Amino acid sequence: MEEKLTQRSVWEKILNKLRKRSLWMLHYCTGCGAIELPPTMTARFDMERFGITPMVTPRQADILLITGYLSAKTLKRVILTYEQMQAPKWVVGFGSCTINGGMYWNSYATIKKLDRYVPVEIYIAGCMPRPEAIINSFNVLIQRIDEGKANSWKDYYENYDYYKKNQEAVLGKFDTLVDIKDDAKKFNIV
Amino acid sequence: MEYKTENEIIKEIKKVFKQAKCSIKKERRIEVILNKRNIMEFALRMQKNWDFPHLSAISCVDWIDEKQFELVYHFWSYNKKVLVSAKIRIPREKEPHTDSIASLWQPAKFFERDIHEMFGVVFDGNNELEKYILTDWDGPPPMRKDFITREFALNFYSYREYNPEWLQEIIKQGDKND
Repeated sequence: MEEKLTQRSVWEKILNKLRKRSLWMLHYCTGCGAIELPPTMTARFDMERFGITPMVTPRQADILLITGYLSAKTLKRVILTYEQMQAPKWVVGFGSCTINGGMYWNSYATIKKLDRYVPVEIYIAGCMPRPEAIINSFNVLIQRIDEGKANSWKDYYENYDYYKKNQEAVLGKFDTLVDIKDDAKKFNIV
Repeated sequence: MEYKTENEIIKEIKKVFKQAKCSIKKERRIEVILNKRNIMEFALRMQKNWDFPHLSAISCVDWIDEKQFELVYHFWSYNKKVLVSAKIRIPREKEPHTDSIASLWQPAKFFERDIHEMFGVVFDGNNELEKYILTDWDGPPPMRKDFITREFALNFYSYREYNPEWLQEIIKQGDKND
């Protein structure tokens, strides 16, 4: 093995093995993408065989699944939700709306690039993506967690000024009641 | 078609509002063009005298070439089964004023709040005209025709570049076929 085996890295590897099989998902359903989730969760495609279940509160969720387009108003709620989640946390952008505005690209209120406002781990392309695509993307996420590559959430702590600047350009000044820079010290990121 | 009930309603309206232009659009649909001043009295009579207890909606049309806003009030009668669309025109200014009918119908407050947000029309007598959907919006009322949505979106947001080779080939082929 190339990298050094410290006590910390060994623990991290074990934790990642455990994490990848118990992912709790908070789905933020703003657009039409929500219609693809019931078949994904229930008997036909059965997401739970990979250890993924829906979770009702952001405090206990690992994945934030954003289905469909975001307007300036809902983006604020997404940021508030995202900052409440406990790290490690992963955002999955679902559908072409989160990638580039989708079919609502020329609206005055639709957010175009989600990764300017919160760090996105995986995008699922399509309008709409089928449940197979969702499950496939979750499998990719599981694999990345296992390999220790799913570190997009750290980017929010490292480059908080960049995200904050983009958020305030759209939403104006607002307070999220979460001290991100203080949190970053806890994770030994800054 | 004889339009019996429709003609009776128009006769009733004509008795009071002599200058109103009434026409039957089709079965069970009546259009009334009113003066801006008369809308409050008209709405009151609709509710109290002429048995139209239901205000379906208020909608706004931006006639930018004529420099006017058109407000359309839709009244429905459950007994007569007729929809009356009363139309008034107000000048197209930055903050045009008109009378609120919220004292007659409570739901009108909601419709008027929506129109105030999207078109900038001020309804005198309605004290609940704060923001509804566009809480973080400071720009001009977005449903006005002189607000060009696409131009605003292109300047305000940044877009992801996506121009792969296979797409360029398709575009080239499309040009040849034209």
